[in-house]
Amino acid sequence: MSAAIAIRVRVNGVRHERDVEARLLLSDFIRQDLALTGTHVGCEHGVCGACTVLFDGEPVRSCIMLAVQADGHDLQTVEALAGPAGELNPLQSAFRAEHGLQCGFCTPGFLMTLTAFLRDNPAPTDSEIRDALSANLCRCTGYHHIFEAAKRASRSTLP
Amino acid sequence: MPAAPPYLRARVPRNEDARLLTGRALFVDDVQLPGMLHVAFVRSEHAHGRITSIDASAARLRPGVHAVYTAADLGDYLKPGPILVSPPPIPNLVFHGCTQLPLAKDKVRHVGEPIAMIVADSRYVAEDAIRDVVVEIAPIDAVVDLEKGLAADAPLIHEHLTSNLAAHVIQRKGNYASAKAKADIIVKRRFHYDRGVSAAIENRAVVVDWNPKSEEMTIWDTTQAPIPIRNGLAAMLGLLESQVNVIAPFVGGGFGPKIMMFYPEELLLPWAAMRLNRPLKWTEDRQENFYATTQERGQVHDAEMALTKDGRILGVHDVFLFDTGAYDPYGLTIPINSQCTLIGPYDIPDYESEFTAVFTNKTIVTPVRGAGRQHGVFVSERLLDLAARELGIDRVEIRKRNLIGPDKFPVNHEIMFQDSAPLIYDSGDYLPTLEQAAEIIGYEQFIREEQPRLRAEGRHVGVGVACYVEGTGIGPYEGARVTIEPSGKVRCATGVGTQGQGHFTVFAQLVADVLGVNVVDVKVVTGDTREFHWGTGTFASRGAVVAGSACHAAASNVREKVLNLASVLLNVPPDRLELSGGRVFDTDDPQRGMSLGELSGKANPLRGAVRPGTEPGLESTAYFGPDRGSTASGVHAIIVEVDPETATVEIKRYLVVHDCGTIINPMLVEGQIHGGVAHGIGNAFYEKLVYDEQGQLLNASFMDYLLPTATDVPMIETAHRETPSPYNVVGLKGVGEAGCIPTGAVFAQAVEDALAGSGVEITEIPLSPNRLFELIEAARK
Amino acid sequence: MILSGTFTFEGPRARVWDILQDPDVLAKALPGTKTLTKVGDDRYQGVMKVSVGPMSAAEFNITVELKDKVEPEKFSMVIDGKGGVGFTKGTATIVLDEQPGPITVMTYTSDVQIGGKIAAVGQRLLESVGKMMTKQALEALNRELKARLGSG
Repeated sequence: MSAAIAIRVRVNGVRHERDVEARLLLSDFIRQDLALTGTHVGCEHGVCGACTVLFDGEPVRSCIMLAVQADGHDLQTVEALAGPAGELNPLQSAFRAEHGLQCGFCTPGFLMTLTAFLRDNPAPTDSEIRDALSANLCRCTGYHHIFEAAKRASRSTLP
Repeated sequence: MPAAPPYLRARVPRNEDARLLTGRALFVDDVQLPGMLHVAFVRSEHAHGRITSIDASAARLRPGVHAVYTAADLGDYLKPGPILVSPPPIPNLVFHGCTQLPLAKDKVRHVGEPIAMIVADSRYVAEDAIRDVVVEIAPIDAVVDLEKGLAADAPLIHEHLTSNLAAHVIQRKGNYASAKAKADIIVKRRFHYDRGVSAAIENRAVVVDWNPKSEEMTIWDTTQAPIPIRNGLAAMLGLLESQVNVIAPFVGGGFGPKIMMFYPEELLLPWAAMRLNRPLKWTEDRQENFYATTQERGQVHDAEMALTKDGRILGVHDVFLFDTGAYDPYGLTIPINSQCTLIGPYDIPDYESEFTAVFTNKTIVTPVRGAGRQHGVFVSERLLDLAARELGIDRVEIRKRNLIGPDKFPVNHEIMFQDSAPLIYDSGDYLPTLEQAAEIIGYEQFIREEQPRLRAEGRHVGVGVACYVEGTGIGPYEGARVTIEPSGKVRCATGVGTQGQGHFTVFAQLVADVLGVNVVDVKVVTGDTREFHWGTGTFASRGAVVAGSACHAAASNVREKVLNLASVLLNVPPDRLELSGGRVFDTDDPQRGMSLGELSGKANPLRGAVRPGTEPGLESTAYFGPDRGSTASGVHAIIVEVDPETATVEIKRYLVVHDCGTIINPMLVEGQIHGGVAHGIGNAFYEKLVYDEQGQLLNASFMDYLLPTATDVPMIETAHRETPSPYNVVGLKGVGEAGCIPTGAVFAQAVEDALAGSGVEITEIPLSPNRLFELIEAARK
Repeated sequence: MILSGTFTFEGPRARVWDILQDPDVLAKALPGTKTLTKVGDDRYQGVMKVSVGPMSAAEFNITVELKDKVEPEKFSMVIDGKGGVGFTKGTATIVLDEQPGPITVMTYTSDVQIGGKIAAVGQRLLESVGKMMTKQALEALNRELKARLGSG
């Protein structure tokens, strides 16, 4: 059993100090230690993207990172997107309007990926959107409505 | 109802989306309970072998490990799992039911079969302890190939049998031999269809909380069938059904394998929880999913079609092998679906279909989206294409000549369907669907003008058109309870679960239309045996049809109660009353009325009496049990471009014209079709499970098992047609699997068309750029 | 997985034979070998650490049994390996042919079955890793051979 390592992380604007094992995955830290279960784990080998969170603003796959790597860093998960009373932000509203989710399990990963993408690419072309989506897997939707949701969101103002 | 129902055929955004989009939806692995322990399994690394010893002593000594169980520890609980679907009463049917033990004893029969269960403080410690358990297995040669598996010298997987034959079934309609004798041509080929996984993005998980003081067990399970799980587990554990609650909360995709029931993990966690008196959690990881969750799609067909020179089908004879994996708990549902779906929308007077199910040393096979339907469609559509080429008839034309006419319904095909009733098509109109598909894809223009023009430029483009018929909405039954609460909100509880199909919205739409309320005011509860405990589950494209019809029936009963009570209280005859906007009122004097919430309060008096023959409140429970399924159908069309140098295939256009009866929410129907098509494209060109000759799965991860991504799936065009089912009031038919049923057939047809003249014939699915390249090269020689 | 090929040792066959039977030399030459000891006539046991793709330092307990020895011309090996990430079983045949120089041309053929986790996720890499390990081992053995010949 490895010794516990003290880490300090800011998650969704809240500071946390915890002692963790070196081998604790970042996805498990978020879901279990911080009880933020909106981030989901689909493969644990970095392919499906369901575990995507923003790490200092950039999308990362939390299932192939360790919690200790987040020491001193800023994380954003899907729980940070909605307003204080649960109001959907424009990206989330676009997903609802376009039926961009069915079972919803892969959705947090898409939302975080797109949050970063649309922030950096406010006026993307159709094929840029398709490429941006291509690293997240969905088994329910066939991606058609996810694409429409992303396109719709790109046409509205984003925070 | 005088006006058209506002929510029928409406693109209503989903009630459940806000929770899913904000991370506030509960999935099984989200459940955290105080004192919870974590489970991991020691699994067989060999596909076939004899267990000579299991030594768990080191594992039990590891700090943080609470228990390690093997078959020897289970006592009477060690029993083979149940046969979930009994074979239908087909004459001369042979079926050997051999089901899995919760933990392997004596023998292992597939890689990943569970051998020991470890309970520890965390999943990390439990997985550490896996390496402490020393399992000695004397390997036996594995059975991987279906034909070799039936050979006399093949290793025997189930030693109480004399061979690896799991089942043998022949179904006949008419007399194929006489059809063959009359035929002008016979087209005959061997077709291969191979295994894939359902790959729901959420893996399976089970959480069990046994409260020894209240003697109540609560189970969260990613199952598609919470009620049968509850009933089965209660029986096995010696508890009353009412002592066990099974909750399938939000489930991240089902697609079939989550309706396999009594998986070892589902059986073992409750048993262990009752001994340890601690909540237990097991979450499957992705690699485990490739071994421990069921799969499907391995079949080999030797089929022939007899036709006249005008392309009229006289008969079909199909002999096939079906890979059932190491055990066969799900009976013969899949191969029987294959037998039935082969007929498609065509008039086939004489048909003989014979299959042999074979045990293999691979993961257990149970239905995955499509559940054997794609195989039947692949065979008949490919044979028609080959016949068309031989006879010089256009591919769409040959299909038109064989379609069952609209005046022939109901059509009784005499052979038995998976619900143990004769295969009957209830309704359908196939010619307009085919014509509409051909028109939208621009078939004529493509064949006559665009394709030759692009060919002249050296580009290889092709078009494919394939038809299918799908039996949906089968029984036995589902139920629902609808209640109008004093707040005016409506509660609708039903026993099926939800894995993304939008039940929280489509059932609400049906109820809202009947009661005249806003769809967002109908709160639907699914998959929770505490709320509703009679029913079966979501499978075979039946949720909307069967559970939806039950919701509709329950709501209609409540409507009756509303009218009767309001009539008395308002002193207005019932036929002058209307329900709209959450109120019931006199159509002649709309001010004279009250809100449904107020009426609900009055229906539950604190004083006075409830009159004999009535019930308090505005609530009703109803069940819907159709005699037979309703028949959906459709046509897929595709245009592809193939690069013969690299063997890559680009899908230029993909069209689905389908008929799923009355549509409740077109947006959700499109979503189901898109998802099915994407899955079908995966099965056609990207997804293949690769087993070596010793039954080792060589690509048990998403790195090597390729799911289609957003750049692999084209924009899918859809068109809806409606021939309502006569078997339910709303006229519903199922649509969950439609997208992936003819995809392989239409893909193969189009690729072959693109490579016309090269000699490439596609008789196998899945292809891949690699395999297509091999076929192109072989044809060159 | 079938691994076969030839390799030329720069020395006489008898000396090559000796090296191939010496566990200390083999332990140093085979990449990832932690220990390798002779435990009986023609039986060796050892621990190896192998890296294949995403699995780094996967530990295997191996036993090797030599059979069908025809000194100094040829022998076979039966290999059995078990580890946390999987197992391996196989056989290999070595044939040594002395040629003018003197040099020795070794022809090896092996058929190894891999199972368990390492087969499931390392598949694409197994063959290349196997080839690389074989090449490294043989080159190291050749260096040892030359060193011994050099020192007389």
